[in-house]
Amino acid sequence: MSGFRVVFNKEFTDNFRDRRTLLSSFSVAILGPIFFVGVMVFVLERSLGDQQISFAVVGAQHAPGLMSFLEKQNTQINSVQAEEPRKLVTQGAYKIVLVIGPDYGERYARGNVNTLILIHDSSEISSTRRHLSQLRGYIHQYSRTIGTLRLWLRGLDPAISNPISTQELDVASPAARALMILSSLPYFLVLVIFMGGFYLAIDTTAGEREHGSLEPLLAQPVDRAQLVFGKITTTAVFGMMSLLVFLGSLYLSVPFVPFERIGMALEIGVAQLINVFVISVPLIFFAAALLTVVASFAKSYKEAQTYLTIVVLVPTLPLILAQLMNLETTLAIMFVPSLSQANLMADLIKGEGASVINALTSMVSTSGYAALLTWVAVSLYRRERILG
Amino acid sequence: MISVRNLVKSYGDVRAVRDISFDAKDGRITALLGPNGAGKSTTLRILSTVAEPDAGRAEIAGVDVTDQPMQVRRHIGVLPHNSGLYARLTGVENVRYFGQLQNMSAQDLEPRIEALVEQLDMADFCDRRTAGFSQGQKIKVALARALVHDPHYVILDEPTNGLDVMATRALRDIISKLKQIGKCVLFSSHIMQEVDALCDDVIVIGGGKIRFDGTIDALRELAGTEDLEEAFVQMAGLSEAS
Repeated sequence: MSGFRVVFNKEFTDNFRDRRTLLSSFSVAILGPIFFVGVMVFVLERSLGDQQISFAVVGAQHAPGLMSFLEKQNTQINSVQAEEPRKLVTQGAYKIVLVIGPDYGERYARGNVNTLILIHDSSEISSTRRHLSQLRGYIHQYSRTIGTLRLWLRGLDPAISNPISTQELDVASPAARALMILSSLPYFLVLVIFMGGFYLAIDTTAGEREHGSLEPLLAQPVDRAQLVFGKITTTAVFGMMSLLVFLGSLYLSVPFVPFERIGMALEIGVAQLINVFVISVPLIFFAAALLTVVASFAKSYKEAQTYLTIVVLVPTLPLILAQLMNLETTLAIMFVPSLSQANLMADLIKGEGASVINALTSMVSTSGYAALLTWVAVSLYRRERILG
Repeated sequence: MISVRNLVKSYGDVRAVRDISFDAKDGRITALLGPNGAGKSTTLRILSTVAEPDAGRAEIAGVDVTDQPMQVRRHIGVLPHNSGLYARLTGVENVRYFGQLQNMSAQDLEPRIEALVEQLDMADFCDRRTAGFSQGQKIKVALARALVHDPHYVILDEPTNGLDVMATRALRDIISKLKQIGKCVLFSSHIMQEVDALCDDVIVIGGGKIRFDGTIDALRELAGTEDLEEAFVQMAGLSEAS
């Protein structure tokens, strides 16, 4: 059995028995998608539920025309009697109360202005404000319709009283919101890959030194390159398992998101997940080598933990920058590890498919960096300073 | 034979080993005796090929440890000063790992492990994970690990550290047996009585230099006192300092 195989088998068995390693390797991978789907379902349900406005009306019987108009607008109207309508809001019975005066019908018939009172609490959360402005909009719409009809009856062009009109288009449709949350998935991808190997990289380097087993290990007749390959490969295999668990968890949890209700056809299929996995393999080895090199510099387990926490943050920085700068997928980006994989994954999930040249560029360049870092790790282990 | 000539080694500004030369012969137990910080561990590190000397030469069976470390590593067994076991592996798994690293085949390795388990009286605990082991149990596993490939040269760094009386006795028996079958045993210690009970030759190191090289009796004679501790203190140059 080669030194590489021996080291790999030992490190795998050893770390597989460590609950802390397993927990940190796989918790993000399992819980990430569940959390993700939870947020998604919550946001979608809320924005879908938003469309129905619920409010109370005092004096509904005075304005049957307006009421029947409002009822047609996906509203839920609660007709109530109240001496002091303010209290309905201040005491929290209703968020919005519309008050119609008893002289409404009379004024309406005479063509006078009718002033309706909308009672609300502006310190309330945003959904109430949105409902309020929607309700206000409906009332204005009704008012304009009546006004237009009256002008027509008098033989005037209704446009004369409407020199300017605006039309609003809210891009924050449920689908747009869903896409925004979806774009956070690649963060998880990168995080899961790095977290998968986090504790292994420490245990096989700084941990080994701290426990005093590194010195006898280095006195064994095994080429240092094989030793380091064995350690990095174990770390990478844990990263790989973590990614597989993540993709599996994603595959199982995504069907719970009600995409069809917002008219989106998002399907994360097996083929897409396999593609995501393939483009991620070089990043897994890059992560394993990077974590191993950095942890090798640490004098103790704790020190290594501190360093690696920073290392795990670094690859997510380009992702945040890219989103701030609204970077499009270009060939140049494919040379940046983590950013390229995140971009490719985003393309794959959106169902646009990734360009083969981009994918190959990303895979080859990231593999190159991984090889370079592995070489650094091997030369660190060839120096006696590694013993600290 | 282990042969060391004019070894020099510094760590930064600290000159750990200034000029050390000695021989450790086959079939004998040689002790490196000296106070803490005398340069014992550094010398053993160089011999076990994990550190390189700044100057001087160290040979094991005529092979230079710096030039051909791989060849040397096949013939040495090293017990580090703390046992350095893997806590989540069982005793046997710890031993097996090093046997495999020594490129032993399963046919050779498994009977060898069984023999060591019996020889070192480890049957009661060797299949448990080493995390909860007593110091004595740890040393036994670490020793089995060092001996798994049946090395001719056995290097032990303060092996009795932290052992109780019975465990120390057991260890002494094992080391004596190694001598009887013709091995070359080199071990470091700062405990005079232990060296007296076990060793044939003693090399006293103080301040990175050799203070004495000879048999125990010669050490007593040279110091002009029957009291070994007094002899050690004089030789190691401790009395001048105090």
